[in-house]
Amino acid sequence: MEMQEQLSSLLSKASAELQQIRTRPELESLKARYVGPNGEFTALMKQMGSVPKELRPAMGKLINESKAKLQSLLDASLRSVEEVELTARLGPAIDPTLPSPDAGPGTFHPLTLVREEVCKILRKVGFVVADGPEVETEFYCFDALNTPPEHPARDPQDTFYFPPGARFGNVSRHTPGEKYLLRTHTSSVQVRTMLKGQPPIRIVSPGRVYRRDTSDASHSANFHQVECLYVDKNVTVRDLKALLDYLFEALMGPGTKTRFRPHYFGYTEPSFEVDLSAKHLPKVNKEWIEIGGCGIVDPEVFKSVGYDPEVWSGYAFGMGIERLAMTLYGIDDIRVFYQNDLRLLRQFTGSI
Amino acid sequence: MKISLNWIWDYVAIDAPVEEVTRAITFLGFEVEHVSVTGAPKLDKVVVGEVLTRDKHPNADKLSVCTVDIGPAGGVKTIVCGAQNYKVGDRVPVALPGAVLPGDFTIKQSKIRGQLSDGMMCSARELGMGDDHGGLLILEGRPELGMAINEVLPPGDTVFDVEITPNRPDCLSHLGLARELSAWFRRGLSYPPERFLGDVSGAPTSTLFSGVQVDHAEDCPLYSAHVVAGVKVGPSPGWMQERLRAVGLRPINNIVDVGNYVMLEYGQPLHAFDAKKIAGGRLVVRRAFEGEKIRTLDQKERTLSSKSLVIADQEKALVIAGVMGGENSGVDETTTTVVLECAIFKASSIRWTSRSLGLSSDSSYRYERGVDPHTALEAARRAVDLIIETAGGTAVGPVAVAGGDVPWKREITVTSTYVEERLGFPVPASEMRAALEALELRIERENPAQGGGTEWVVEIPSWRDDLDRPIDLVEEILRIYGTERIPAARVLAVGTSAEDDPVVVFNRRAVSYLVGHDFHECVNLTLRPGAELTTWVSQTAAAELALANPFVEDQSHLRPTLVMGLLDTLLLNQSRGEPASRLCEAGRIFVENNGHNYEGAAVAFVIAEDPTRHWLRRQPADFYTAKHHLTAIASAAGVDLSSEAAEPVVGPGFGWHEGHSVSISAKDQSWIARFGLVNLAMLRSRGIEGSVIAGVFSIRPERLDPDKARRRFRDFSLFPAALRDLALVVDESARAGDVEAAVASAAREAAGALFAVESVSLFDVYRGKGLAEGKKSLAFSLVFRSASRTLTDDEVNGVLLSIQDRIEKAGTYQLRK
Repeated sequence: MEMQEQLSSLLSKASAELQQIRTRPELESLKARYVGPNGEFTALMKQMGSVPKELRPAMGKLINESKAKLQSLLDASLRSVEEVELTARLGPAIDPTLPSPDAGPGTFHPLTLVREEVCKILRKVGFVVADGPEVETEFYCFDALNTPPEHPARDPQDTFYFPPGARFGNVSRHTPGEKYLLRTHTSSVQVRTMLKGQPPIRIVSPGRVYRRDTSDASHSANFHQVECLYVDKNVTVRDLKALLDYLFEALMGPGTKTRFRPHYFGYTEPSFEVDLSAKHLPKVNKEWIEIGGCGIVDPEVFKSVGYDPEVWSGYAFGMGIERLAMTLYGIDDIRVFYQNDLRLLRQFTGSI
Repeated sequence: MKISLNWIWDYVAIDAPVEEVTRAITFLGFEVEHVSVTGAPKLDKVVVGEVLTRDKHPNADKLSVCTVDIGPAGGVKTIVCGAQNYKVGDRVPVALPGAVLPGDFTIKQSKIRGQLSDGMMCSARELGMGDDHGGLLILEGRPELGMAINEVLPPGDTVFDVEITPNRPDCLSHLGLARELSAWFRRGLSYPPERFLGDVSGAPTSTLFSGVQVDHAEDCPLYSAHVVAGVKVGPSPGWMQERLRAVGLRPINNIVDVGNYVMLEYGQPLHAFDAKKIAGGRLVVRRAFEGEKIRTLDQKERTLSSKSLVIADQEKALVIAGVMGGENSGVDETTTTVVLECAIFKASSIRWTSRSLGLSSDSSYRYERGVDPHTALEAARRAVDLIIETAGGTAVGPVAVAGGDVPWKREITVTSTYVEERLGFPVPASEMRAALEALELRIERENPAQGGGTEWVVEIPSWRDDLDRPIDLVEEILRIYGTERIPAARVLAVGTSAEDDPVVVFNRRAVSYLVGHDFHECVNLTLRPGAELTTWVSQTAAAELALANPFVEDQSHLRPTLVMGLLDTLLLNQSRGEPASRLCEAGRIFVENNGHNYEGAAVAFVIAEDPTRHWLRRQPADFYTAKHHLTAIASAAGVDLSSEAAEPVVGPGFGWHEGHSVSISAKDQSWIARFGLVNLAMLRSRGIEGSVIAGVFSIRPERLDPDKARRRFRDFSLFPAALRDLALVVDESARAGDVEAAVASAAREAAGALFAVESVSLFDVYRGKGLAEGKKSLAFSLVFRSASRTLTDDEVNGVLLSIQDRIEKAGTYQLRK
């Protein structure tokens, strides 16, 4: 029974020592002292040979139980050592109030936000976003839109042209030798879209346009427009009004009203300027503000793209994205959009 | 154009308040830019008074108690006044109890802080004369005491500044706008009385003027001249001066004023010559001689080209036709015989001359937009009447008229059904007809239309050349019916399977990616200064991007890259003390290739060194950061950047830093990717601190493929992979991509059909100890896998040995042992 006591006292001694173990080297040296080749437990096991034969089964069982117990003590100690090590590696608890050193968040430009919102609203009523070149030719920008050659809008005083020898490899000309220019409106996309396909057509074309003009708080050498074109059978003035009421209610909230004032554009007949009820808008002290132009597509435009004006009718609407953004956000100088001061951009983090 | 309401009243009796008239003009389709009130409205019980005494109010610091003499209107009154700008002896307007001032403000006898006040001394604003509220209106010229104020002050008028759309030159006149208002308010239109005192039958013929010769009838389809002899030049009558002043014109003399008056009345420009200044007594309408000079009425010498039309005598040009008269032929105090020109000039000819001289006038403005040739002579007769009425004299012969004999006749047939189909809502046929008639569009015939409704044959008057088609009449009907009456409706939409344009989709994906990676999206201008372009593209390419007519020097060329704008943004924020680091932009750039420019849809980013100090350090961005982002952007366009070889960007002229930037492009140049470190010297010269990593990807819109084939799932093995490492010693100049390709190829050959080489990827680059000078070690991880079984160590090791063997035999690279 001496052996039994020895085992028991060895286990309680190991258990007590393990309580003090904190590091891996300590644990390794303890393991060596007990279960290493010259360890105390190993030495006890070696005594098995001297145990009388009849006692061996009982003694063997005892030794195995003790061995398992010791091993589980060692395992537990290893786990706690590992935990201590991990904690040491993690360092002190985090301070959740410290700032992240990473930049961010990124921001969409306010003009992008407004453009995408308009497109999204129109997408819901079947409009598809169309795109076209910013360098255009006289046909797509003017001729096809019923703007005759002597029209003042075509004057080099108001429109940017390229020299006669300029060649643009991926901007197709309608007639050989016609002049290249920077488009003055995105209506050229309407012409290209109509020439490419057949009605019905329902497109919204946002994009950059150019006017040869002095830059000031409300003018910029380039700015952005968004236009929509709908061509189908029996398209009416009332449909056009319905679209604009829908668009601006969706954009500015229920109760927003639009009104049409007769106007003149070469590419629509009748033509209207669109006003928006403005009482709830920031920095506006008027009952109505002008927001865009629209009308029923002029039969001449259909003729120039080969559509029969007796069969097809349509409406078109266009507005300036900067102007809309200025109206929505209460910005009063167009130039801030092109300066990209981060103090502007950050105001639009994750918002519309 | 400025429109006087008093003047309008000559032709149409509108009794609506000003706000209603403004609204009418607006909804007729003319923008009212400004409404100004001149003179005083009709005011009862407001009289002239003189301040006799002025004492401080006993109970109020800012008020005075005055005695004011209003003479026969009531003697001396006591009035409390808050104004400060007057002194004893001043004569001022006094509103007596019972007077009603604009804004429905009734004056009563009252006690102000205990002091009785018998009326009110008034400011200009209180009398409804503008916004001046600086104090009392001090009356000049000591008008009589007690006189009604309307006898002292100019009569009131309302002047609308109206923008006339280019399709309506007929409305560049009071008569034209009166016609519109008569239609809106449904009040009859009365034309100016025509007495034509210029009838020359039986009158003598002038000795000073013999006639007109038109050399270029295509530029001058009508030219008429009337002669009035024995005129006395002097000031025009008060009423005429008042009207001219109200619409912003300075009265000159009765002859010139009549010309202007009739132009503003009819829209027909007129010009008066002093007959004695016409050398040879004959007017010639001809092209100017190249370089011909004329001193115009604005006292500037103008040099003309042979494309411009002039009115000349036998010696010299007298007038730049339709634009401005010369100093040498105008009417002055010595004029006794006047030759009055009334002509029609071709719009494009006048526009060209006006633009080329940079000289615009009320006359050229009207000719450019179109003047009705068929009513021109009415205006001439009206002017002759007014000259004789205001300057005396009599009409003499000859009346010279050249051209103008083309008759006018236009009819448009329209049905009520067509109008309703275009409008999309019902309007009673009677209302349609009434709208047309109100605009003096005479209904020539009315018939039942085939298939229902009413058909009208509408006669179009000559001044409405803008009306040509049935749709034009739809607009007329809607204008008069009222656009505010368009009924509300719901949008009827059909579903669509169409996709947004691929450029739009690409921009959205790429910018969303970058914003998701903490970039701020920017918007910069497309036009850049030419000098800057050669930093990025060759001289020839830069020249191709030039505009023919830039507006300002620093916006003369199309941008060939987005990076320049982003650097501007960095600089702007840096100079404003805003730490900017990660910026991006999507937009068009223009790239020259073989003498052609190509418009590309581009997305770019820059990463500047973060100037903010942080408590925790992060690795700064480098070339490989740019590669990472640009690969993602290209993939948003469906382009796999690894499919084409990367070429280092060389030469100092390309904005990029040599050795630390690359260019990758499609073989046909349909897309281009450039990224890496921006040229440090260039950054310094622009004043940007630190280094900047940038990338730009541009693709021709037509290259973006909207019909991407749907991807197919590829089955993969569930058996475990076998991993082996392989390190090679290579020359410093060897490119990792080439070495990796060699290893992969050797591995595939060695494995053959036995099993798959799943991947070969570089995981370590080592230089230094243990390696010879000029050498580096590249370590690759090789992954092998079979689709059908677990690989044994032996077979994998066998393949590895075979790979090493192949590389050693090839001899280009050494195994690292």
